[in-house]
Amino acid sequence: MAPRERIVIADGPAGSAQIAEFERDRRDVLRRGLGLGGAVVVAASSIPLLLSVRNAFAQTSGDAEILGKAIHLEQVAVLAYGAAIDSGRLGVELSRVAARFRDHEQQHADVLTTALTDLGGMAPQPATAKDVEGFVKRLDDAESQTDLANLAIEFETATVAAYLDAQRKLIDGKLLQTGASIMANEAQHLVVLRELAKLDPVPNAFVTGKK
Amino acid sequence: MDLDRFLRDPQSRRRFFRASGVSLAGGSAVFLAACTDDTKLSQEEIGPDESDAADVELLNSALDLELMAVAAYKAGAARLKGDVLQVGKLFLQHEQEHADGLIAAIKDAGGKPNQARATYDFPELRTQRDVLRFAIDLENTAIAAYIDLLPKLGEGDLRATAAAILSNEAEHVAVLLGALGEEQVPDAFVVGKVT
Repeated sequence: MAPRERIVIADGPAGSAQIAEFERDRRDVLRRGLGLGGAVVVAASSIPLLLSVRNAFAQTSGDAEILGKAIHLEQVAVLAYGAAIDSGRLGVELSRVAARFRDHEQQHADVLTTALTDLGGMAPQPATAKDVEGFVKRLDDAESQTDLANLAIEFETATVAAYLDAQRKLIDGKLLQTGASIMANEAQHLVVLRELAKLDPVPNAFVTGKK
Repeated sequence: MDLDRFLRDPQSRRRFFRASGVSLAGGSAVFLAACTDDTKLSQEEIGPDESDAADVELLNSALDLELMAVAAYKAGAARLKGDVLQVGKLFLQHEQEHADGLIAAIKDAGGKPNQARATYDFPELRTQRDVLRFAIDLENTAIAAYIDLLPKLGEGDLRATAAAILSNEAEHVAVLLGALGEEQVPDAFVVGKVT
């Protein structure tokens, strides 16, 4: 029998974890770019957006704060899909999918906002175009429908990772269930987007938001 | 702790689906960090857990669903063709991976995993469409069960693992609906259904 891997408690200063995650993202981006012979040029400005999505709940404490971050995350998703649609670069099928998924993200934001106000909290300031600047740059750089689908895949994957993290932090039972039902919806989005990108639609038995 | 490590680690697996509400994030984390080699921990050293019986019952309930799904995909395979057959084989593998994790967790908790039943009372599956529709029902039942379970889990990594499984079942539903030519993501919230 192979020895079990020793448990390592990796929790350290939040800044260190974020830096490590950023390095993983950066290396992964570079590796994929190089693997494709440099055909895919990744705008450095998009990395902070994806990192901020993935780590949306990294430094939150308490259900209300997590809800506020989740609302912002969903608002950013609404803007991102909206920017993709408005770019005029999406083909018929991808455009239909983006419109539908944008509607889903808006529904998530609405339900989470209601949950937050029920807790006595105030909805966060609405996301703005500045929040998706990096994403828009990536839209401009995309050379094909596959590139555009892959961009959405990256965003949705980071969102899944954020909601997985929320499962570790939320306390209220109904919020845990709502978060899981949203996470599962984002996972379904990924199936459709991967099919459009000609990728394996269900690559793993466990959905973690890992790349 | 990442998921792969979680599934290999008995101390974590045995807490899988714990409904006691006991958080182990503090002292236990320090204890585990202090262990130079956790392979040396025997069951006696780990000690009995007062919630093990409840754990085993919950784990076995989830295992029953996963084993039923495995049996369903096996039973339905004869009616599937081409790409859909490949999908069925893949999802069978996924359900088996879920079941394997649950079986390991039950054993780690000192319990006895339920066995797959010799026969299941499945509806007659005459066509590929019948199989797909039945598979969707099974997947939705599992999703509802996992969502129901989530608030009962006291430890964050366990909730994350359950969410990772139910999201995979949701992915299956999306693919199966697509194979039927239906909208793959019909709703913004995935809640499954209790049959």
